Amino acid sequence: MADQNINPFSQEPTTKTTPERRQLSQSNHAVSRRLQKELMTLMMNAEKGVSAFPEGENLFKWIATIIGPDGTVYEGITFKLSLEFLNNYPYVPPIVKFTSPCFHPNVDLTGNICLDILKEKWSALYDVRTVLLSLQSLLAEPNNDSPLNQTAAELWPNQTEFKVHMEKFMADMRKQNS
Amino acid sequence: MAEISMEQISAIWEERCCTFPILSEEVYRRHDPDMTTYTELQETFLLVKKHALGTVVEDLVIERIEQEMRNNIVPKFWNYFEDGIVDGNGFETFRNAVDYLYHTAANFTTLLDRIHVMRNHCDMNRLVYGEEGMYDTFKVILRSTLHAQLPLKYQTVIEDFYKVSFKVFCKSEKGNLEKDANESGELVVSCGGCDSEIETCRCEKIIEYFHNVNRQLIELELLESLAGDVLTALIHKRIENHVQETCQGSFDKEYIKDLEDWLQNTVMGWLMKIYNQEADTSCNESIQKSIFKFKQKLMHFMYETYTKTRIDQLFNIIIEYPDSDPAIYDLRICLEKTDLRGFLIQKFQRALETRLLHSGVNTPDILTAYIASIKALRQLDSTGVLLETVTQPIRQYLRSRNDTVRCVVTNLTEEGPGDLAEELVRGETDQVDEHTSADAEMENWETWKPDPVDSDPMKTPKSRRTSDIISMLVNVYGSKELFVNEYRTLLADRLLSQFHYNTEKEIRYLELLKLRFGDSQLHYCEVMLKDVYDSKRINAHLHTDPNFDLSKQPYPTTALILSAQFWPPFKEDTLELPATVKERLAVYTKSFETLKGNRTLNWKPHLGSVNLDIELKDRTINLTVSPIHAAIIWHFQTKNQWTIEELSLELMVPATALRRRIAFWQSQVFWSYIVGMLTNLDSMPLERIHQMLKMFASQGPSSVECSVQELRLFLDRKVREHKLLFSGGFYRLPKT
Repeated sequence: MADQNINPFSQEPTTKTTPERRQLSQSNHAVSRRLQKELMTLMMNAEKGVSAFPEGENLFKWIATIIGPDGTVYEGITFKLSLEFLNNYPYVPPIVKFTSPCFHPNVDLTGNICLDILKEKWSALYDVRTVLLSLQSLLAEPNNDSPLNQTAAELWPNQTEFKVHMEKFMADMRKQNS
Repeated sequence: MAEISMEQISAIWEERCCTFPILSEEVYRRHDPDMTTYTELQETFLLVKKHALGTVVEDLVIERIEQEMRNNIVPKFWNYFEDGIVDGNGFETFRNAVDYLYHTAANFTTLLDRIHVMRNHCDMNRLVYGEEGMYDTFKVILRSTLHAQLPLKYQTVIEDFYKVSFKVFCKSEKGNLEKDANESGELVVSCGGCDSEIETCRCEKIIEYFHNVNRQLIELELLESLAGDVLTALIHKRIENHVQETCQGSFDKEYIKDLEDWLQNTVMGWLMKIYNQEADTSCNESIQKSIFKFKQKLMHFMYETYTKTRIDQLFNIIIEYPDSDPAIYDLRICLEKTDLRGFLIQKFQRALETRLLHSGVNTPDILTAYIASIKALRQLDSTGVLLETVTQPIRQYLRSRNDTVRCVVTNLTEEGPGDLAEELVRGETDQVDEHTSADAEMENWETWKPDPVDSDPMKTPKSRRTSDIISMLVNVYGSKELFVNEYRTLLADRLLSQFHYNTEKEIRYLELLKLRFGDSQLHYCEVMLKDVYDSKRINAHLHTDPNFDLSKQPYPTTALILSAQFWPPFKEDTLELPATVKERLAVYTKSFETLKGNRTLNWKPHLGSVNLDIELKDRTINLTVSPIHAAIIWHFQTKNQWTIEELSLELMVPATALRRRIAFWQSQVFWSYIVGMLTNLDSMPLERIHQMLKMFASQGPSSVECSVQELRLFLDRKVREHKLLFSGGFYRLPKT
């Protein structure tokens, strides 16, 4: 039977001593507070085209919405993303994925994203808002040097052809999902 | 009586047995002309007459017939019914049984003929079992023996027989219609009448058998005694089903005509078929008569069934009034034909108790239902007696609710779904017409009708008829004063919360109310409205006249100047306004004093409204709020964080009241959160939004709880402002 007192985000074995466990839950509490505050900042200073909110009771899983920037092939398209925070956030980046289909050189078919600030360039000074804004600008300016979607990377220089391809891709994905 | 020898007796007996073979062991012999010629018969009968043996012989024959019936024929007949219905063969069973009975009975004809002849010869004139003729006596014997041995299952068989034939008949009646429908494509595999496949449809055969059986039963005079109950029960059931099917849940159509037509054409048509009477042939008068009587009974039964159905639905019908007017019309006609008034009162009152008069229903809803009842029941019974009796529990219950008067007054003076305001306007014309209607009553004295027996003798019929909806509502609570006071409070609330000086509508209502309640009662209200009107004038004057400082101010200050003793007492709340606002008010007071000479103003800073702009980083919000809300936000210009205690001291407002007021600004925060969650989670029900807000938007010990109820009001307001969409229990953002 599962022990009710285990921190669900802890990867540690259950044989931890009590003080250590308390420390862990305290750090967890600190993460909650930080996320709570980030949420308030995000809510009170609504940025155009980006938004995020906890998905349910769990403050560590959020859903984000990005509207494709004007003047790009993505203009007017609404993208949904999932954000997952680990219990040592903000010392590690959140895990961010596109949940709606996104045809983009730096996004693979399952929605994984290749963006430096979500990997090696992450800093604890970043927050949800900056991540979402970075992603929004990534949509406008992909990094074609490290593509996850080869086809998209090749098509990118020809925006007209890219758009045709993208629309077909989105339609296919919708058909798959329905 | 002549002496007769044994030889003679035995000789006569021999003859008898020849003449009436039933007397010997043989039950009946085929008619044998050689054996008994007419002359032979005559001789025999002469002999019988000579010895005055007619009665004896006849008794003997009758006893034998009875025996035969009892022991053989009837048991055999009932034996057909022994197994009940197996594989839906009720139709065949009954047909065979009747066929058997008919033919067996036919075998008695010769016998009965001879008795008849014998009677004539012997000049016998007597009643046997109350019947003069021998044939009738025979039928009595048959009938009574059948009834004496009724088995248990006979009804199911007979019912099946008539059910099958009725179905076939109904189908053939509307056959033409259906043929058209079927042509449109659908492949019909089985016949709608007999349920067998189309190619092997037995409808025609069934109709033929049906006619045959009925003819046989009529000849034996058994139709009514054997099948009467079953037939009536079957038709009643049919009528019930038909009424249910026809008028279930639809109140916007009159059905009486349709139902009458249906009974006349379908049901009576079928009955005619049973009696082999085509509608136009007038053969047997007694049958015609009995059919007519039967029809009247059925008609009554149909009315009763329909009335009961409508009475069961009455609550819904009334709630939907006036859309349900046709149903009310039907019910009115039906009530005249049936004796179901008492049933209606009882049923409807019970429906009221279970569906309306309990703590789960809001007072405005009860009032709406009451108003609908008044309108509908007045249509149902123009004397008003029914209305008075039926709605008694509503009035009684409304008296126990303390917000009744308030709801009535609100309803009266605001355009709402209840539209009492409309009624108020109509009431005006009613009162003017009072004399003419009384005259009209006298003119129509010939058509005068007494009140129904259940009416209250303490009240005159006229008071009942003239009492309109509003008086009925006012009377719920008793006194006029109570009503007028409540109106005054509401009027004050409205005037002080709207600040638009547009009193035209209010004046109009006041005039209407004055007609009803009298000038003196409403004098205070009149002064109140005049205050508002005067304030408007004074404001305009002070702002336009360059002699006063008001015209030079950066933002306008206006005042509502009230004559204190005419208004309901105000709640005395304190509020310390910001210094700059107080300066403005002082300037206004000074101007007013200049204008009015020896008068001054006593400000109520907590009442009023403030229009303000809030400049945020990226946008400006324009809001109209109460002075205390404005004062709260004003203080955040000088300091970013205030504790409740500090702010309470600054504003001279108790901490508890302040906390409540701050909730307003917090709801602005809530709104950002709601937009945030709906942007990302698409659509959510009320409870979930509430849960999320509780979890993520209200943090810390000083957080103000927002109840689900408050949240709903808040969200609904946003829906009205088109900032939210609401459908199927879910809120979502409108597409941008």
